This record gives sequence, structure tokens and C-alpha cells, in this order.
Amino acid sequence: MIALTLALRNLWKNRRRSLATLLAIGIGFAAVNLFAGYIANTYAGLRDSSIYGEGLGHLTIARNGYFANGSLQPERYILSPDDLTRLTRLLREDSRIEVISPRLSASGLVSNGKLSTIFIAEGEDPALANRIWQHSNARFRLDPQKPAGGLVSKALAERLGVGPHGNLVTMASTLEGQINALDLDVLQVWDTGNAATNDKTLRLPLGYLQQLLDTEGASRVVVLLTPGTDADTLRSALQPRLRAAGFDMEIKTWVELSSYYRQVKRLFDLIFAFLFTIVFIVVLMSIINTLSMSVMERVREIGTLRALGMQRLAVIRIFATEGALLGIAGSLAGAVLTCTLIALIHFGHITYTPPASSTPVPLSIAFLPGMLGATLAILTLIATLAACWPARRAARLEIVDALGHI
Amino acid sequence: MPLIETHELCKTYRLGEIEVPALRDISLRIEPGEFTALWGPSGSGKSTLLNLLGLIDTPSAGNIILNGRNTANMTDAARAHLRNEGIGFIFQGFNLIPVLSALENVMLPLSIRGVSRTRAHCEADRRLAEVGLGKYTHHRPDQLSGGQRQRVAIARALVTNPLLIIADEPTANLDAATGLAVIEQMKALNHTLGVTFLFSTHDPRLLGHLQRIVRLSDGEILEDSMDALPDLSTALPSSPTHTEGAAA
Repeated sequence: MIALTLALRNLWKNRRRSLATLLAIGIGFAAVNLFAGYIANTYAGLRDSSIYGEGLGHLTIARNGYFANGSLQPERYILSPDDLTRLTRLLREDSRIEVISPRLSASGLVSNGKLSTIFIAEGEDPALANRIWQHSNARFRLDPQKPAGGLVSKALAERLGVGPHGNLVTMASTLEGQINALDLDVLQVWDTGNAATNDKTLRLPLGYLQQLLDTEGASRVVVLLTPGTDADTLRSALQPRLRAAGFDMEIKTWVELSSYYRQVKRLFDLIFAFLFTIVFIVVLMSIINTLSMSVMERVREIGTLRALGMQRLAVIRIFATEGALLGIAGSLAGAVLTCTLIALIHFGHITYTPPASSTPVPLSIAFLPGMLGATLAILTLIATLAACWPARRAARLEIVDALGHI
Repeated sequence: MPLIETHELCKTYRLGEIEVPALRDISLRIEPGEFTALWGPSGSGKSTLLNLLGLIDTPSAGNIILNGRNTANMTDAARAHLRNEGIGFIFQGFNLIPVLSALENVMLPLSIRGVSRTRAHCEADRRLAEVGLGKYTHHRPDQLSGGQRQRVAIARALVTNPLLIIADEPTANLDAATGLAVIEQMKALNHTLGVTFLFSTHDPRLLGHLQRIVRLSDGEILEDSMDALPDLSTALPSSPTHTEGAAA
């Protein structure tokens, strides 16, 4: 109690210095939380974009070796209609699986009759694809009634000068190595959101791509899970069941397949660690500086307290309490600053174009109460521990020297 | 049993390569209830001896027995505990905590001991009333005069009902009248409560109020007189009062 009273009174007595320290902690707190909110939003956006928009689903199941060599020898890894039927039946037994969508990939040339350019295409069942897309805010859809109707990415459509209801021709090698070509009706033009894919991507009905590649099978099966199901857990549960059913398959999660997500996350995590280290050092130095000055000014007071019988540990407790109070008050100020800035950014409707993005996106910062609490706890702990260094110096003062200090 | 007993107490300070003796072979007995002054010029070793007897410094050699307890091998924590339980301090510069009120300053030794706030408050209130500061409980040290601050310090020294109160030049920062009033108050408390007072001074105006005077010079006891003044002619050549009688 006496430690708290002395700590509070001394902080108030030196309020200008306390305020400066408090602001340093508060600004550091806000910087950490705003960036954490920003990257949390970015991760969530990229996650949704990968799982639903890009159509990776939560899990992708393919023959063993497909993910390493499938693009070079697609015919080796193709799943026959019989395989697909058996696999689908097995997967349906698990109630945590919401959508089971066979997929086929291809690349080739697409032409408007005058101009040809390369494409990469995903073939998927229109009804199942639409079920996956409906989880996202994507407005594009395949039409189950139009087996030759596909979606064309925006930059590709612009390059070929087509829009909805336009016609194109796709050309690709069949799995046997023959050249094949098919007419394509443009249903919709959509923005992939990624500059690297926006000028070459087609989303096509599975049947159309099977016809183009001259196969009845699919290269893999994409699985969408019910909300709250952990992809890794389900993968662990599925693998032995697939083996038991005679399938030599490998399963990848969406994180493993989305290299873009992993790269962005690695980069942001690194920046976050760097930022947090800077804040850590600023808080540490601010507290050490503030409390070292406080110890210097209160040498006689410390000597008096020790002469009156205060133990060394109790002296440390006084300064540690001051550090903790600065940490708590600074963090609370930081929490207020964080909330204010989040609200201002939200109502300011600020947009920006992220790297590799084709369109501006709204700047949005997630409110993370858990992160606020964790930062408060960590910064308070740092402040308390930082205070212990000058506090230890104070406690080790010789009483006689301290009492004689001017 | 004496309250304080010292045997050949020495204290030597080191200034670089040079060793400076501050106290040499001090052997002293102080009985409970005494009102004793350590007398001597600056540098005679009064404060050093008080620091050693108050357990805020350690001797270079010799022994201190406080209320029957040998303090030689006590840990720092045990010495702090003994200071809090058995010794009250009055400092020349008052040494009140500036951010605490008079009442909180007096409560401090009890708070350090872990006494409940209510009991400490009650006890501190009573002690402040005893030293005539009942109306100043919520004043901060900087809102009090020098004499009032020293009386707060006396109340703080008394609040734990100590066996011994050590006062280092308690009147040095006070004017003559206030200094005298403070000594009178200490003396009255010595009489009424029976608490032992041991203080240092070189103020000749206080001579008439002392019971026992231990005269120090160059770290040695020159004279130890009970109910009689020592010959101060060598120590205080300019003092007009040094030859006055000194019945307590």
C-alpha cells in the first residue's frame, strides 16, 4: 500500500516527466496495435480471397506427386470418373466437409480471331464453384446452363477487346498431346485483384475443360469445410482413411498452396517483429531514464525509508510499482489512441493500392481486443522489469551515504 | 541490562589510499531512559557514532550490543527490522517524505512494519497531537515551518514506541527559540514515556537541558559526565555559556 501511495504521489509530483514517458508508451502501444489490426485484416482478406475467391478451398486432394510434377505430366495424375466417385463418397461421410469440387487445370492460347495470348484456366463444376464463391463478396458466377460459358479476367478481356456476351476461342494440348480448340462464350469479366494473374486467367466449367483436354477425369478435388473446422485437423483425420480405401493421395491446405499468402504473411510478421522490437526498446529506455532520474532526485528519501526500517526489496517494490503504473497508464492511453485512430480511419473511407494489387482497396484496421490486452500486459511487464534496474541501484545505496546526499 | 553497550568500537573511512579513522576504541554504556548528548566539534565523530548505534552503518571493528542483542553478525534485513521495531530517528534536515502529509509521514514506520492503515492512522494522529500538531495532519512538509517539521519528525520517531530515539543535530536547522522548544519537547517525552534519547549537538544553548554529556574529540571519548557539565573550555572557546551549570 505504501509502495502504491509513494509511487502515485511521486509520479504526480513529476507529472511533466511522467506524461512524456506515458506518451512514449502510448504511441508505441498504438503503433503496435494499429499495425497488428492492419495485418490481421490483410490476412483475413487474403485468406478469404485464397479460399473462396481464388477457389483453393480449405484442402486440396490429389494423387501423390501431383503438386510437384502435375504440371509437367498431368496425364499421370489424373483421377478417373471412378476414382472421383469413390473419393467423393468417402469424403461425404465426414460431416465437417461442406463442398467437394473436382478440378482440372489447363494452360494454352486464347484468341479473339485476330489476337492470341496465353491463358491459365481452372475448370470446376459451375454449381459447386458458385457455392464456394457465395462465401466471399465475389459477384461473378458460372452458369450451370451454359456449358461453354466462362469468366475472363479483366486485363485479359481488355487485351482481347471482349466483354460479357463476347466470344473467344481457346486452344490447348489434350492429355494425349493433340491440339484442340473450343469456342468460349464470355459470361462475365472479373478482376482477380492480383496484377500477376489479371491478364491471363479463365474460370471455366469442368466439362468444358475436360472436353478441351479430352479427358473425363479431374486432376484434384478441392474441399470446403464447415465454418470453424480446422484444416490441419481434418487433413490428419482424412489421410489414414484415404490410405485405408486404397488411395495414394496427398493433401495440401490452402496455406501451403497459396505462396502469395505465405510471402505476405512472412513479410508482415517480420515488419511487426521489427516494430515491436523498436517499441520494446523505446519503452525500456523511457522507463529506465525516467526512474533513474527519479532515483537520483530521491536518494535522501530512499535513505530515510531505509533508516526507518524499510527492507531493500520494499524499496525495489516502490520503483517497480512506478514502472508498472507508467506501463498501465501509457498502455491505456495507447488503447484510447488506437480506438480513436481506428474509428477515424473507418469513417474516413481511406483507400490505397497494395503492392501486386490491381485495384485500390479500403484501408481497414481490425479492432483486436485480445491484442490490446496482450500489449498492455507485455508493456506493463517490460515497464516493471525496466524499473527494476534503477530500483536495484536505489536499494543498494548505503544508508549513511544516501542520508548525506544533497 | 544497559540499552546500549559498545566495546572498542572503531570506524575507519578510506579516502583513496589513505585510511581516516573516524572513531577509535569507543566503549560506552547507555541505560534505558537516559537523555544523553554526544558533544563535540564538527568532525569529532558524533554522527558516525550515532550512525553505528542506529544500525545504519557498520563498524570497522568492535561490537554493539543493543538491548542485549549482539548486532555484529546481523543481516541487512535483520538490522532493518530492528531499526523499525526499536529505534526512532530524528534527522538534522528533518528528512520528511515531501509527497506525504504530516500524518502519512508519521504513519510511515508503522506502514513499513505492516500495521493496518486504521491502526497506523490512529496512532499517528495521537502522536501528532502529543507534539502539538493535531491541526496540521494534512499539511505537506513544505507547508510547515522548520520547527513544525522537526516536531513531525519527533512524532514519527515516537510512533513505534521505540526503546531508543537517535537524533543527529536535531536543532541545527532551527532558530534558537524553536531549537530550545524542540529539546524541551524531547525532554518531556523522555520523562513521560521513559524513552531513551541519544542525540548529537554542538549547540551550547542546550547545555542546561542535558542529563548526560559524552564529549568526543577526534573520534575518542574525552569525557563522560552524568548530571554535570564537562569542561568545555577547550571545545568551545568562544561560547559564553559553556561554564554555566547543567543540572538536567
